[in-house]
Amino acid sequence: MPDAGSVSGTGMRVRLPGLAALSGSGSLLAGIVLALLVLFLCFLVPLAWRADPYALNPLSPLSHPSRAFPLGTDELGRDNLARVMDAGRATLLVALPAAAVTFLAGLLYGLASGLGPRLLDAAMMRLLDAVLALPGLVVLIFFAAILRLSTPSLILLLGLISWPPLARLVRNETRAVRDRDFVQAAYQMGGGFFHVVTTHLLRVMAPVLAVNFTFLVGEMILLLSALSFLGLGVQPPQTSWGGLLEGALQLVALDPWWLVLPPGLLIFASLLSASLIGQGLLARQGRA
Amino acid sequence: MLRVVRARLGSAGLSLLILTLLAFVMSHLTPGGPAYSILGPAARPDTVAAINHEFGLDLPIWRQYLRWLWQLAHGRLGSSYLSNQPVGAMLLSYEANTILLQLVALTASLAIAFGLGLLHGVFHARRLGRLIGTVELGLFALPSFFVGTLLILWVSMGLGWLPAGGLEDLRLQHQTPGSILSHLALPAATITLFTVPALSRYLAQSVHEELGRDYVRSAAARGASPGRILFRHVLRNALRPVVTLLGLSLPTIFAGGIVTETVFSYPGLGWLLWQSAIGQDYPVLIGIVLVIGVLTVLGNLLADLVNGLLDPRTSYA
Amino acid sequence: MTDTVLQLQALSVSLPAHGGGRLVPVLDALDLQVRAGGMTALVGESGSGKTVAALAAMRLLPRGARTSGQVRFDGLDLLAQDERRMRRLRGRIGMVFQNPLSALNPSATVGAQVAEGYRLHENGSRAQARRRAVELLGEVGIPDPARRLDDYPHQFSGGQRQRVMIAAALACDPRVLIADEPTTGLDPLVARQILALLRRLQQSHRLGVLFITHDLSIVEAHADRLTVLYAGRAVEWGGAGRFFAAPRHPYSQALLAAVPRLGQAALQGIPGRLPDPLLLPPGCRFAPRCPHHRPPCDDGYPPALGDAVEAACCLFPLAPPVPARNMNVVHAPPAGAAARQDDAALLALERVTVRHPVIGARRRTAPALQEVSLTLHRGECLGIVGESGSGKSTLGRAILHMLRHDGRILLDGQPVADLPGPERRRARRRIQPVFQDPRESLNPRLRIGDALAEPLRLGGLFDRARLDREVAALLAKVGLDPSLAGRWPGQVSGGQAQRVAVARALAARPEIVVLDEPTSALDVSTQAMLLTLLRDLARSEHVAYVMISHDLAAVSWLADRIAVLKDGRVVEAADTATLLAHPRHAYSAALVATAPRVQDGAGQVAAGPVRLPSPPA
Repeated sequence: MPDAGSVSGTGMRVRLPGLAALSGSGSLLAGIVLALLVLFLCFLVPLAWRADPYALNPLSPLSHPSRAFPLGTDELGRDNLARVMDAGRATLLVALPAAAVTFLAGLLYGLASGLGPRLLDAAMMRLLDAVLALPGLVVLIFFAAILRLSTPSLILLLGLISWPPLARLVRNETRAVRDRDFVQAAYQMGGGFFHVVTTHLLRVMAPVLAVNFTFLVGEMILLLSALSFLGLGVQPPQTSWGGLLEGALQLVALDPWWLVLPPGLLIFASLLSASLIGQGLLARQGRA
Repeated sequence: MLRVVRARLGSAGLSLLILTLLAFVMSHLTPGGPAYSILGPAARPDTVAAINHEFGLDLPIWRQYLRWLWQLAHGRLGSSYLSNQPVGAMLLSYEANTILLQLVALTASLAIAFGLGLLHGVFHARRLGRLIGTVELGLFALPSFFVGTLLILWVSMGLGWLPAGGLEDLRLQHQTPGSILSHLALPAATITLFTVPALSRYLAQSVHEELGRDYVRSAAARGASPGRILFRHVLRNALRPVVTLLGLSLPTIFAGGIVTETVFSYPGLGWLLWQSAIGQDYPVLIGIVLVIGVLTVLGNLLADLVNGLLDPRTSYA
Repeated sequence: MTDTVLQLQALSVSLPAHGGGRLVPVLDALDLQVRAGGMTALVGESGSGKTVAALAAMRLLPRGARTSGQVRFDGLDLLAQDERRMRRLRGRIGMVFQNPLSALNPSATVGAQVAEGYRLHENGSRAQARRRAVELLGEVGIPDPARRLDDYPHQFSGGQRQRVMIAAALACDPRVLIADEPTTGLDPLVARQILALLRRLQQSHRLGVLFITHDLSIVEAHADRLTVLYAGRAVEWGGAGRFFAAPRHPYSQALLAAVPRLGQAALQGIPGRLPDPLLLPPGCRFAPRCPHHRPPCDDGYPPALGDAVEAACCLFPLAPPVPARNMNVVHAPPAGAAARQDDAALLALERVTVRHPVIGARRRTAPALQEVSLTLHRGECLGIVGESGSGKSTLGRAILHMLRHDGRILLDGQPVADLPGPERRRARRRIQPVFQDPRESLNPRLRIGDALAEPLRLGGLFDRARLDREVAALLAKVGLDPSLAGRWPGQVSGGQAQRVAVARALAARPEIVVLDEPTSALDVSTQAMLLTLLRDLARSEHVAYVMISHDLAAVSWLADRIAVLKDGRVVEAADTATLLAHPRHAYSAALVATAPRVQDGAGQVAAGPVRLPSPPA
């Protein structure tokens, strides 16, 4: 089967669906700056701006941004800036661990499949096809509807839904590297399985893995936000960016642009920074 | 060819089987269940029992599963817990709306992505290519629910141009083509914005890679013009990975539609999926997942077929 | 000359540096003529600028390239034409590239590609174009051309693909054919056939051929004129007969001496490496590597001594060296002659058969190796020669125990496959590989020092200081500077990387080293250096070699015995001298007949017409 993760015909090296258009270091720097800004807002600004995101101010519902409420208030008069920051922490504290879970699951599955005997490989790839046969969001909605999601189970679910593409990539890379001459030479000089994996496979795949991890972080933020937007992700009263947007959509007739833009732009900024960093890494590798 | 079809059907069938099985097990392990969803948390136990009996929910779980599979084999998907309508009929009517929306969006996406991707690929490292690449990157990071909300906020509410939603049923008599189009415009635009960057970027990468191949130089050495090289030689090879991606991502594009349909309350399959997920309407939920599974298989098969036509090296003997 | 069909005059090219910015000069004031019905060879190692010259003549250089000088064709200066006219002119100059598989569009039929030039320039109808394509394919020797017209490139063999490329280049009856390394990557016998085809076309069409190659031996019999490029500049040009008999530039001489030939006693490489095009030496570009270097050489680029027809750019041109005339194939002292007394075979293959598992194929494929039996003694060098697909690499991998096989492989009389785990590992360490592509055989993410330490660590040495010492000793052993230990594989030349690979193989203290095409990815000068090194190491390290190659001359230079492999079987195995003098099998005879050999001094070459036992590829 033609695979989106590899370019056949070039032979030895499996490449990512390349996104090497933008110049490398510029986009890497921009991505890192953007990521730091988002993290700064979510984790450090709250130390200075100590408004309670859940405190009601019945006297000033839906007020425009002002000195007292820099990003205005929602329909219950809650401070929007505090809510956006709180939602950001909730989103990132689910999405980042979920990306880590996905990454580990994909890496281990891919390595096992790529290094295992042929029968195991075939069985694992078949299973992977089965998991891939449905889009992640549909499966996610399906399970989110059935299960009551707590934060840990949400992390686990997100992680367990999204690993297959990475697993396939790792498996294909592993197969490609496994047959390269320096791995053959390592076996010939008495290297065992563990030696080959640590000295050669992981080392060679490290750049590809780094790029994919950054893309995964973006994907997780997107998935979680979509799920929360649909009311199935992070559960109230806890806020999240997706949840805030959904709440704003309910009030859309009242033109609450200050409730729509901040969470939306923060999701946009997070996704953009993940793409920029991933792309910057890719471009740098292309040059090396 | 048959072998490919069989493999695809096999893995899709396997995945659907796993999924439905899991769904059954879990829906019965969770407390409450549909009876409470229908009757509310204060329901009397005997009413709950009656409902459970009516839907066969008091049977052992494996018998429920087999019963459901048996019904499925006969084309019966059961009926909705919430509306009591047969699931099959519901799916068909909502599916029609989704297909209409997706056709419009996909046509627009393909047209835009083709032009953009070609330009991006040809002018890869030059100013125009970089510009397109930056635009793609930006669009890539815009989630459809944000775009949809903004469109409602600015276009529907602010300018009052297009309706924000509320399409009831396309087949109702009073729907004029103009009204249908006006209801389609914003959701289709949202889906298009979501689909274009990935497609065009992929095409660009593919075109750029093909342009660097030796056969391009051979054709140039024979005196072929740049246009001829691009359209007669490169395009056919460059489209192959794009077609594969398109086939693989048809269901994902559809899933992108879930959020969009929900934003605009567009009565399609995605919206129905959301409704039944919120309401824990298992028969409908499972029915939709089945439909999407079938769509996935069809998408992949279609991609394989088209690629077979594009690439002489694959022979389906 | 009135019948000059293509003439380059002071052609200079600069290419934009990788990553943009500066322009790098890659070709400097090249003069060259191609005559109707003649073949001019442009010879140079990689990085010499020879391909750039061809692309510049056709105006096919990448964007941003700067070209000056003139390319005269048919009374026109090609560099002065606008792009539209240039496109029309391209049909009248045919061009053939290296690696025909990638040079042909995989998803267009062969017929369409052959006829493309005709359709573009002659405005023929579709039916006429098809007729023309059949005619052309027939002319280049594709059997049953009418039937093969609608086939795709992947359905042809390597040699046939190159024929197809030639047919496509001939579509508009060109007067000049530029062939850029058309035989590289092809088996020697197939390469000879392609050359014979070019020669035939040259005569029948009065076609002028510009033949670009790194391989002097391949043009020896065919070219009538020759230009040698070094670091972007022509160092010597003239008639081929004169050149091969009496090369005058030290680089030309060194290059000739570096080509392995049958019956050659000494092989000399050229130490050093090509200068960085941004840091060219002020004077003669070859001066830093030249054995006859004298102070005036650094003052300025030496003028051409001679005229436009015959000249060498050297202040101190040399008298022709006295060639080693060992016509009776007096074999050089075998690498391990002294060690051969030991009677017991170190390695013995008994009826080894390997079948490649073919995924999804219903047809049973012929085994890659069939009942191969061979022995290797301590300190001996066994050569394995065969064309691609003959199973020679499979044989190498079987010896390294990387493949499942039938039959037995005995190391010191013990079947390695039957040993228990740890002992089998130890046994495997006694056999070490050196692969063809040095870039592939070193982990790109492991520094050279770490790559060399890897086998030492696996051998149980962990002390940092001792490891460093051992690594330095290994580097010195293969003639490399110890400072290389801190570099990445991407930062060294191909020849250096291959030396590192040899050092790594030696680090495990093996008794046998399997050399799988160790020189074929290297330039001629580097190749000779490596072969010499390998021979020296055989003596000093007391290792036995299994050397696998398609290049009989290179193998014969190193091997005590040679086994000829064809279609997975050993068709002949004999002492090197015996095999070269009296090949018994027809296939071995063809190999011996086509291999380059030491000349008899008058510039005549012993490669006569070749009759092949196999059907034409």
